[in-house]
Parts: sequence; structure tokens; C-alpha cells
Amino acid sequence: MIKIQDIRDAARDMLAKGEVRAVIGWQRGSRGMAAEPVVINAPEQADGLVWDPTCYHNLSLYLVNDKKAQAHAKQKPTLPIAIIAKGCDARSCVVLMQENYFRRDDIYIIGVSCEGTGVIDERKLAVALGGVKPTSAAFDGDDYVVTLPDGSEKRLPAREVMADRCLECREPFPKENNIALGEDKTGRALEAPFAALARFEQQSEAERWNYWQRQFDRCIRCFACRSVCPMCFCDECVVDSIEMKVAPTTSAEEKASRVRWIERSNTLADNFGYHMTRAMHLAGRCIDCGECERVCPVNIPLRLLNNKMEREAREQFGYEPGASIGGPSLVSSFRDDDPGTWIR
Amino acid sequence: MDKLIDKARLSDWITALADWEVFAPALEDGVWTFKAAGEAVSLGHTNVKQPPKDFAFPQREIYFSFEQVKGEPPRLTQKLPAEAKRVVFGVRPCDGRAVPRMDRVFNDPQFPDAYYQARRNGLAYVGLACNRPVAPTCFCKSVGGSPVSSEGMDVLLTDLGDRYFVQAVTKTGEALVAAADKLFVKASPADKKALEKTHADAEAQPQRAIADAAGAAKKLKANFDSPLWETLAQGCIGCGICTFLCPTCHCFDINDEVTGTAPMKGNRVRTWDNCQFPDFTMHTSGHNPRETLGSRLRQRVCHKFQYFHENYGMLQCTGCGRCVSECPVGIDIVNVVNKVTENVA
Ligand code: SF4
Ligand code: SF4
Ligand code: SF4
Ligand code: SF4
Ligand code: SF4
Repeated sequence: MIKIQDIRDAARDMLAKGEVRAVIGWQRGSRGMAAEPVVINAPEQADGLVWDPTCYHNLSLYLVNDKKAQAHAKQKPTLPIAIIAKGCDARSCVVLMQENYFRRDDIYIIGVSCEGTGVIDERKLAVALGGVKPTSAAFDGDDYVVTLPDGSEKRLPAREVMADRCLECREPFPKENNIALGEDKTGRALEAPFAALARFEQQSEAERWNYWQRQFDRCIRCFACRSVCPMCFCDECVVDSIEMKVAPTTSAEEKASRVRWIERSNTLADNFGYHMTRAMHLAGRCIDCGECERVCPVNIPLRLLNNKMEREAREQFGYEPGASIGGPSLVSSFRDDDPGTWIR
Repeated sequence: MDKLIDKARLSDWITALADWEVFAPALEDGVWTFKAAGEAVSLGHTNVKQPPKDFAFPQREIYFSFEQVKGEPPRLTQKLPAEAKRVVFGVRPCDGRAVPRMDRVFNDPQFPDAYYQARRNGLAYVGLACNRPVAPTCFCKSVGGSPVSSEGMDVLLTDLGDRYFVQAVTKTGEALVAAADKLFVKASPADKKALEKTHADAEAQPQRAIADAAGAAKKLKANFDSPLWETLAQGCIGCGICTFLCPTCHCFDINDEVTGTAPMKGNRVRTWDNCQFPDFTMHTSGHNPRETLGSRLRQRVCHKFQYFHENYGMLQCTGCGRCVSECPVGIDIVNVVNKVTENVA
């Protein structure tokens, strides 16, 4: 099992030696059990880092945000930035580098293995504990131990409260790394990949259609699913038009007819438009960190959509997102044995 | 007019409100939401995920439709919502306290909002006191409220085991009770004692503290330029959760949604806007005075604890805790206010 001291030592060391300009990791939150993302840039801050089953967040998002901030400030950092990355987080770093969002030397990956366990799903936990909110959670080899508000501890079988994406984890060990902590327990996934999707697809088309209508009808278009996704890095997203610059010469006509693919209204049609666009834009890029689904305040099971696209890519093109920095991306690859005859 | 009703008769009360459209919390796909009340209503909810804000201030409101045949003047048709008698059951005290705050904004004597008023007139709230805070993130007491507050409600219910203690707060509330008079019994002095004890116990439950809520406005103002804003917003992803779920956030955006071009037609639509979004204060020039996440966090927190207080003499935050519990990265308004106001004279 990973010792938190090892993570802290690694972070402190590289900051003290001036090898990296900052370390993105997790710290204790102020509102209860869950850890929260933090960026530290002084060695003494390393003692605040934590590693436990509430380190849900895919921190590669903050690499993207850092890059945007640097570009905005017209700065070119000379030192890399370090990130503590689980298996899925490391895969998303790979996709970002494959897409040339940053170069390998720009980042320093401190890999942490989930060792065949994974992160907790707070919704499952709430059901398992009848709504009681634990104050902390820890790994315990195979399972979890949570501390309850009265100070008592409770052991929970990982299988019951683990996030779906971890149950089906393809690669719990961060293969792409500069250093890696913890054992490689690849192959210990508790469910087959795409198991939840396969279960869902047992329903008829009509049932699924009704299901998605009910789900999307509830969407409040907070865009948390987009904002949390490291692959959703576009400067201008279809849903907001922040790049529309208006000069004194811009006519009223031009202003009024700026392209808005999807209206701001949370109507069912616009909600569908938003989610279908996002699903398509993530095909072959989503590495199933499950963050979009976790953050949705109204429990829309977005993972099913992205998994569907991922499985298509795998079955149709043998494509595995996040596997190789140098390899072609899904949309820029071509194979002679492509099953689609129309392409030749 | 203090009364009691058996929990088992709650559904009968709702049925008796034949003149009213009744809404109550329902659990669907793991989310508590206000839905049209069906046969069996039980108020077993913690708090609903989305406050009852939509009833008077829906996320999407059509102002008017427009249509223009080329060469002719445009034709506009106002879409004022019809007034209707609607009652929402199971509103928690924090969300009840949001009602007068929203009223203050949209029923402003100088700038009354006809759309809000049309929806608000005829809208009633039947509240449910919290015998214990429904979540560890609740902090109503720290912002001047109480888990048993009846502010903003027409009726307040308090759970006394197998019965509810029923307090009509307004004339409308009295009418709601009178509509099913025979279902209620008069409260005895013993019942009142039980109520007082329940309320006192509820008040005594520990909650998260804001060190100086009353002085926060002044201290936040003094710390407008604090570097803490950026530090505290470090993890923020700039999503819309904290404000879209807030019972008192009321910023909106107005857009024309074109549905056809020959003839040109469509709707002018108001939708909720969100100070955490990147384009919230985007100027047409491309300049954005609130470009960083820290400046947007400051806007949200200072609106609740400073600007609203300066304008209307009350805090805009009611301590429902939604922005705390639902933030995906743990940005915690209690922590933010405490951190930014600590050590400020
Ligand atoms: S999906 Fe895999 S790598 Fe990611 S948190 Fe879960 S177990 Fe770890
Ligand atoms: S996070 Fe959920 S509610 Fe928000 S936009 Fe995404 S799907 Fe809709
Ligand atoms: S779409 Fe969702 S699961 Fe896929 S990379 Fe983005 S946040 Fe992660
Ligand atoms: S504070 Fe939290 S909920 Fe609000 S915008 Fe930031 S990340 Fe989203
Ligand atoms: S600011 Fe947060 S705690 Fe306060 S009323 Fe709004 S959502 Fe509730």
C-alpha cells in the first residue's frame, strides 16, 4: 500500500531541488470527508498532501487550466509542473500530450497506483450508510475504512461503494509516469470493461429513449460535466461564446447573428444538443475517469454515453484512448484492414 | 391558529386542496425534486436538490415572441404567465427564508418584474421545520436563520412523531388549512409544549459557524484585493453548480432564440445566468473584468455577504449548504468567508 509519506517526500524533494515549479495534488477539505485539489509550490506545503479513496478528481484538468493561465499571461515556464496521477489521470495526460496540448517535458507525473481498489462513489456510500456522512475514508488493502461522526470506524467492502469506473478499471496503474508509487495490480478489476453499459443496453430501444429523455430533461446546464473534463479544453465551447469580439465596426446584424449552435435555454432539445455534441467530441478521447458523471448534481449517468463511444472505437477500430503518446489519434488514423469498405 | 394533523392524513389534506396545484418532494433517479403531488405524499426528504426557486423564477422564461414579415413592422406578443394557485409542500426553512430575498429583488418598488409577480401571486409555501439539520453542511443559524424559521412560509409544519404541528403564518396559510378543516385538531397545551421542546432541541443542534456574519460585509469590503481570493479558488472549475442550485441566486441573461427566418420569428427568452461562467461579465470588446476564477468566487461570496447586505440590509445567503455539499471540488463558502474575514479589524 502507498504510504502518504512517500508522496509527500517526493513532492517536497522536487520542489526543494527546484525540479518543478509546482505540484498538483490533493489536500484535506474543509467540509467533511472528501479530499480537494490543491496546487502547492513550496516544499513545506507538501505535508498537507493526502492520498485516500476520496481523491476522485482527475487532476490533469489543472494541467490544462495551468497551461491556459500561462498562455493568457504570455508566460513560458522554464520548469515542468508535477501532477499526482492515478491510472485514469495518467491516461488523460497521455491523450493531452498526444494532442500536443503540452509536451512530455512540460509535466512530471507522480503516478499513484489504485492497487486494484479505486475511489469511492459518494452516492453509493450514502445508500450504504443510510445517509450518515463519514468524516474520513482510507484504503485498507482490499477495502475501505470510514470514520463516522461519532468517532467509530466502519469497514466497507470496496465492491459495494466503489465508483463504477473503478469497478471496470482498464488500467489502475499509471503506466505513463516519471515515478510511480504503489503496486501494479492491473487485471484486478472487479467487473469487465463496459459492464454497466452492457447491462443498460439490455433494455429495448424505446425504453432507452424514454430513459434518456427523462435524464436530459433534468439537466440544469450547469456545464460542470464539461468544466471538469480535461478533454473539454476548447477555448470556445459551443455553449458559450466568449471569443465573440465586437469592434466599433461590428454591425448589429453581426452581433445578433453570432453563431449559437445551442441555445442557453435548458429545453429538452437544447439539452440533447449539448450532450450529443459533447459525446461526439469525446469519442476516442475520453479515458473514463468518470468525473463528468461524478460531478453532475442531478445524477445524469453521463458515463454511459462516453463508454458507448469508447466501446465503438475499440470494436470498430481497435482503438484504445490514452494508450500511447506517439500513436495516431482516433480520427487521424487509417488502417488497411478497416472494416468499413466505403473508406477505400 | 395552532393545529395538528395526523401524518397519515397528509395526503387527504393535499387531495382537499382541489383549487390548488400541489407540489411536493419526490425521489427520482436518486434526486429529490419538487414534483406535482400524486396520491401518496410523505415528507421524508432531506432537502431537495434544487430549491423551490423555479416556481417564481424559472430557469427559462419567454418574455415575448416576435415575428416580422420582410418590409412590415415586427409583431410582438407578450407571454405573461397566467396567475395560478400553486402550493409547494415540504419547503425547508433555509429555502423559505430565500423567498423574501427573491421578492425583494423582483418586487422592487422601482423595478417590479411582471413575470416574477405573475408567478409569485397565488404561490404558497408549506414549510417543514428541520428537527435536526438535514446535512452536515447546513449553517442556517450562522446567517441569522433557524432550522425552525417560518420566514417566507405560509404554513409551517413541525414533525412531532406521528403528527405534524401546523402553524398558519399568513392569510393564505389559514386558507390552506381551512380548505380541509375537519382533518385538523386543535393543539392542546401539551402539544404546544412538545412543539417548543422540539424547536428548542432543533436550535441546539450544532452547526458550522461563520465567525462574524454580521461584520462580514465590512470586512469583505476591506479585503476586496486580498490574494486569498485566487488561492481559495484554486480548485474551482468554474461550473454553474453553486449558483444554479442556490435558492437566492437570481442573475439572468436575455437572448433572442430564432425559430424561423422567413418570416423572421422567435422568442425573447430570459434564462438564469451564472457568475461562475467565463462569459458572465464579458464585455463586447472582449475585455472581461472578472476573468479569473478568484474574481468570480469573490463576486459570488461578496454578493451574498456584502453587496446584498449593503443594498437591502440582509444577507443573501440562507445557509442551505447546497453550494458547499454540491461543489465538485470542495469550495466551501463558510470556509471562504471565515478565511477572508479573519484578522480584519
Ligand atoms: S478508474 Fe482506475 S485508475 Fe482511475 S481511480 Fe478508478 S481504479 Fe484508479
Ligand atoms: S453536470 Fe449534469 S446538470 Fe450540469 S450540465 Fe452536465 S449533465 Fe447537466
Ligand atoms: S468525458 Fe467524463 S469520463 Fe471522459 S475524460 Fe471527460 S470527464 Fe473523464
Ligand atoms: S465553487 Fe464549486 S460549484 Fe462553484 S463554480 Fe467553482 S467548482 Fe463549480
Ligand atoms: S450561498 Fe450557498 S449556502 Fe448560501 S443560500 Fe446559496 S447555496 Fe445556500
